[in-house]
Amino acid sequence: MQNKNISSVLKSVEKPGRYTGGEYNSVIKDKKKVKCRFAFAFPDTYEIGMSNLGVRILYDVLNREDDIWCERVYAPWLDMAEKMREYSIPLSAHESGDSVKDFDLVGFSLQYEMCYTTALAMLKLADIPIYSKDRSESDPIILAGGPCVYNAEPVADFFDLINVGEGEEVLVEISRLYINMKENGSYSRDAFLRAAASIEGVYIPSLYEVSYNEDGTIKEYRPKYSDIPKKIRKRIIADLDKAPYPEKLVMPYIETVHDRIVLEVYRGCIRGCRFCQAGMVYRPIREKSPETLCKYAKCLYENTGYEEISLISLSISDYSELPRLTDGLLSWTDDAHVSLSLPSLRLDSFSEELMKKVSSVRQGGLTFAPEAGTQRLRDVINKNVTEEDLRRSMDIALRGGKNNVKLYFMNGLPTETLEDIEGIADTAKKVIECYFAIPKPERPKGGISVTISVSCFIPKPFTPFQWEKQDSFEMLEEKQKHLRECITDRRIRYTYHDAKVSRIEAVLARGDRRLAPAIALAVQEGAMFDAWDECFDYDRWIRVFEKCGIDPDFYTTRGFGLDEVLPWDIIDCGVTKQYLLRERKLAYEGKTTPSCAENCNGCGANKLGGKNKWCK
Amino acid sequence: MVQVNNTPIVLRVKFFKKGSLQYISHLDLVRTMMKIIVRADLPLWYTEGFNPKPKLTFAAPLSTGTESECEFMDIRLTEKMDTDEALRRLNRNMTDNMQATEAYYPDNKFTSLAYLSYDVRIHTEGDAAELCERCKKTLSGEDITVVKKTKSGMADVNIKPLIKSFEVYTEGGDIALSLVLSADPSAFLNPELVIRALRERCGILSSGNLISEYYTIIRKEAFFADMTVFR
Ligand code: SF4
Repeated sequence: MQNKNISSVLKSVEKPGRYTGGEYNSVIKDKKKVKCRFAFAFPDTYEIGMSNLGVRILYDVLNREDDIWCERVYAPWLDMAEKMREYSIPLSAHESGDSVKDFDLVGFSLQYEMCYTTALAMLKLADIPIYSKDRSESDPIILAGGPCVYNAEPVADFFDLINVGEGEEVLVEISRLYINMKENGSYSRDAFLRAAASIEGVYIPSLYEVSYNEDGTIKEYRPKYSDIPKKIRKRIIADLDKAPYPEKLVMPYIETVHDRIVLEVYRGCIRGCRFCQAGMVYRPIREKSPETLCKYAKCLYENTGYEEISLISLSISDYSELPRLTDGLLSWTDDAHVSLSLPSLRLDSFSEELMKKVSSVRQGGLTFAPEAGTQRLRDVINKNVTEEDLRRSMDIALRGGKNNVKLYFMNGLPTETLEDIEGIADTAKKVIECYFAIPKPERPKGGISVTISVSCFIPKPFTPFQWEKQDSFEMLEEKQKHLRECITDRRIRYTYHDAKVSRIEAVLARGDRRLAPAIALAVQEGAMFDAWDECFDYDRWIRVFEKCGIDPDFYTTRGFGLDEVLPWDIIDCGVTKQYLLRERKLAYEGKTTPSCAENCNGCGANKLGGKNKWCK
Repeated sequence: MVQVNNTPIVLRVKFFKKGSLQYISHLDLVRTMMKIIVRADLPLWYTEGFNPKPKLTFAAPLSTGTESECEFMDIRLTEKMDTDEALRRLNRNMTDNMQATEAYYPDNKFTSLAYLSYDVRIHTEGDAAELCERCKKTLSGEDITVVKKTKSGMADVNIKPLIKSFEVYTEGGDIALSLVLSADPSAFLNPELVIRALRERCGILSSGNLISEYYTIIRKEAFFADMTVFR
């Protein structure tokens, strides 16, 4: 894979199989025949990156083009990164082993804010300047995409080009533009970026000037030229059923986090939970047909040999054709020793039938996400599940032999009181009561265990709660302590997220361009893999914020004014501000909003087009 | 698929594993092979019980960082199939760095495998000829005791009796070793241990620079106790 003989280096690091490539189904092309070399970079380990659906889809889409060669790049783990620095081994791509620096386009997939430092560390290992403005004509164009770019402002100065929305079409258009400009001699970095700015879904941060008010809030975003769009509208795939989907998967030799076939059933969500960014930014909802999904499943099984098919989407039981899909799959999967799994289940639509069909449910424990402990707060966040749903689902699950239940909650939601915290403990107790309400011969043997896992609320961009304050971490820690005290039953296990991580995550999720120097400094001081508990260093973050004159509270506990220019106002994700404000008001009134399947609520995403049955 | 024949038929496959695949651990190889045999659409025999799986057995697991020209695995089938066809289907589903070279219905078990031979190349910064002599002397000695990790902690082991034969010579400025080592599961000798013994005694690979000094190991052949080629 590499020009140097690094066999001894590989023998000296953990899991060398992370770095060697050569996987079955990986795409090798003739360098001399391709006109655009695209490096798809995932700022986390190989094991995590290999399992990412977005990477799988876009790798396939780009490689369908004969003259584009897309290769994969992952972040080397700390031990390897250290060896690379020591022996001047540059970051290279998995397929060809060529230096990332020699590629034409390098696209980073930003899946979570805590990967920012890893992405910059990768640029350094590739010997590419981290700031867009410092790159020369011989450096590749550095792109970013993924869910984080709905507010890419904190990292905007590091990327030349940002792809907002679904990438299947845009990435090919960008590569085509690059090839054309290279061929007709009009290419220069500036000319290319200027031209790319007119592709829908492309955001070129360097073409905007941001000014600030005296109180530190944003005054305005101003395009530097008149032909540059004032707002960047996200791209979507109009007809998801006809969109390309990989028929082969690159088969890792080493174990990765999701060694299985993943079927993307639909995009978007009909629910509208008010804290959930994914539920808003992936709108409008577009489903695939069961026929298409069954066809891909069979094909992927033959090309991979995986024994598990996972059906994914934001809330799988909302898929309008679920029975036809599961029946279609079960017609052959049992005979082929292939099992079906569902990562997300809703309490209100969990049924005995579903439990029987899906082996992840048959075998493993059950996971539900009530998110809040009282009906009042569940109404505030528009999580339309009731206590009755919980009781009914638990009864089915327990009678079905499940005695290991996991419940997800959030701390720090708007309007949360101590009573809501106590409600979390009560909810867990109710599950135990459900167990004992079942006559002894019918309940599962071995007792019952309930795990409650509590994360900290982060007011995310493009949600009705985007203006909210985040609780201070002292407050969050106090709430966590209170909950611990409320749990007296030894059958209840309690786990929670580190409130300090959530604070930094909130800064990075809600920040603006003034954060860039702090992020760069953090990387300078060794930050990488912040998404990993063992690498996250809260004190380092606080130190770099201080050095760069940044007050984290400005982005967290302050809350944003309703009339303030938000850092992410430059992006149009479809859903309008009026809708978000309306939802926010309903939240404070404790009123719920019906799902899109019951009634279109006019969120604005319909203007993006796209084939679906709900948007009016 | 209803399994009619409950007695599986064993198909033995000999394969090589080289280049980047030397960095794949044995456990990962097993996982990879499971997928390969499913893709190859062989008439696989599945274990019974709640979670049926195909069954694969491997001879003498290879350690990470070693290439091999002679790996063996036994696959269990529900019915006999043409061995050439099996070979073709398997190879279509493997990459260039790992290909099956033979498939046949064996008349023995892996327990009759007694010795394995290896070729080792050591690229060193020192004087290869002189280091080569030192290695030869060490390997000719009666006692080559190394500290080895065992189930019950660290133990001193004299590896000399486990070395069936050896040759040491220089080639292209490198030190070359040809080793025949015990493959008996109760007295298995990993060639890495031989290299470690030489490193500790002869001053090879002493610079600590992983780029300018390195070594490679290739497993070459397997033998029965009487030194005829294992099959
Ligand atoms: S336009 Fe209506 S149906 Fe479509 S996503 Fe928005 S609220 Fe739902």
